[in-house]
Amino acid sequence: MKNNKKQSAAPSANNSRKHLAAKIYKYRGFYLMFLPVFIFAVIFFYLPMLGIRYAFTDYNGIKDPTFTGLANFEKMFSMPNFWSAFTNTLEISIIKLFLTVAVAVVVSIFLNEIANIHFKKVVQTIIYLPHFMSWVVTASVFSLILAPTSQGLVNTFLVEMGVVSADNMIYFLGDTKWWRFAYYLINIWKETGWQTVIFMATLSGINTELYEAASIDGAGRWGKMRYITFPALANTILTVLILNLAKVMNLFESAFVLQNDAVLGTANVLETYIYYQTFNSGAIPNYGYTTAVGLFKSIIGCVLVLFCNWLSKKVRDGRGIV
Amino acid sequence: MKSKKKIQVFPIVNGLIFIIISLIIIVPIWKILVDSFDLKTAYGMKLWPEEFGLTGYITVFKNPTMYQPLIISFITTICGTAVALILSTFGAYVLIQYDMPGRNFMANMLLFTMIFNGGMIPTYLVLKSLHLTNTLWVVILFPALNVYNLVLMRNFFEGIPASLFESATLDGCSPMQTFIRIVLPMSKAALASIGLMFAVSYWNDYTHYKLYITNSDLYNFQMKLRGMIMGSDSPAVTAGVTENTIKNAAIIIVILPFMILYPFLQKYFVKGVNIGAVKE
Repeated sequence: MKNNKKQSAAPSANNSRKHLAAKIYKYRGFYLMFLPVFIFAVIFFYLPMLGIRYAFTDYNGIKDPTFTGLANFEKMFSMPNFWSAFTNTLEISIIKLFLTVAVAVVVSIFLNEIANIHFKKVVQTIIYLPHFMSWVVTASVFSLILAPTSQGLVNTFLVEMGVVSADNMIYFLGDTKWWRFAYYLINIWKETGWQTVIFMATLSGINTELYEAASIDGAGRWGKMRYITFPALANTILTVLILNLAKVMNLFESAFVLQNDAVLGTANVLETYIYYQTFNSGAIPNYGYTTAVGLFKSIIGCVLVLFCNWLSKKVRDGRGIV
Repeated sequence: MKSKKKIQVFPIVNGLIFIIISLIIIVPIWKILVDSFDLKTAYGMKLWPEEFGLTGYITVFKNPTMYQPLIISFITTICGTAVALILSTFGAYVLIQYDMPGRNFMANMLLFTMIFNGGMIPTYLVLKSLHLTNTLWVVILFPALNVYNLVLMRNFFEGIPASLFESATLDGCSPMQTFIRIVLPMSKAALASIGLMFAVSYWNDYTHYKLYITNSDLYNFQMKLRGMIMGSDSPAVTAGVTENTIKNAAIIIVILPFMILYPFLQKYFVKGVNIGAVKE
């Protein structure tokens, strides 16, 4: 759109080169301002990309890397732990995404029905809050509250209610049967409120005449919610799903701080698998192998981003996500 | 008649639902707050301290291994946010110069990093070979270039009327002068929104410390808290206070600065999300 500001091409090549040189000279101050950004991008993003070559080598950080072809990938595909981390990543990310968005949509629709503006503001302030707590704090809060001891709030409550016995408390974060359930609930607790921000913004844009017209046509509260409010959100829901689908492979911190050795089979995701294999395996790290796993993850992630970008352009009138 | 009755019942039920939702959010945080003041260990279901005392907090502030991480959290948050804002505003300002030769290359160079990256281990190896690991530089500088926030900033900047830039150029302003006299004053709300997002992520940073810092003298408070909760770094227990009380007090301390400022800053956070959603 802004590109049509470009001046018409100069008549001869020589002239255009002079013209370009003059332009570059004119913008010299801007190049200088971009320099720090450029340096940061090279150091933190582009130099690591060169490191991908280690994926095809045997490298432990001490001896020089030796080329081994696709051996790391063969090893990776034969490892059951790798496959479980891969499927866990997809399952946990995608279920988490759909759950939090679904809950956020329902909460937004009902939040929109609150007539008292002060009460609405107070509720919004409260439900946004957990988003700003770090994952470390969230994990700390819940490991104390879900503790399977008489000090844990939830287990004490369950004992009081007679659901579990005092000597058979549920170790939510240390039991493979319960871990994912707890993980999803903690995610809903932390992120649902903040997700409503974007939905509430869309709802505030609905023309109130639509509601009035529906009232005249005899639609009740449920009818209006079902036929006006919810459809108005459809585009935003799609946008949020696409934006987040592009990021499903990046799952790390939330899983990392909530997992422990007892639940790794069901809780280990690719990024945490790479972390443990490199830094916590007890042996000399095999950087070549973990770089290969990272490369596999990056490629899947890249394909997902490009797919979501394509999808976004298709359903959102040409607007991509990158 | 029937529909009239419905209208009276719904707001009450809806209000009750939201009171319950708010309680679900508040109770876990409230419970931590209460237990941080409770000197008796058997917390259970109590939502009020049984034996009130400040010993948990005093222990944290008296112990150098506890307050030093807090100081590191403050320093890295302030320095990091400053560097991050400089990079985001410089980058965004350059990206709105659509007539500048090489502008598209610069934009694509930044956007490509959102599609593909080297991954955890190559990044670690590069930072290690540059001797950035085990320094505070890495936790200040690495998160400072955030392409998503840079694009947000560019979206804000695009709303500045072009005529302002033209008149500044006619007045003989250099790019830097235009930036300081026009761009920055025109985008105070953007600076607040994006600056706050950066500040929160620096304060809450755990991943970068976990990956790149092994020297416990350089840990921030999130790392310290994590160590205490995992039991690998037991807090020094003094007379009259239990380990759990100290843990609860540590959680409250790390969320307190934000909790105090949050009601005043909320609108800036919300604004940041909405600009990103609308214009992206």
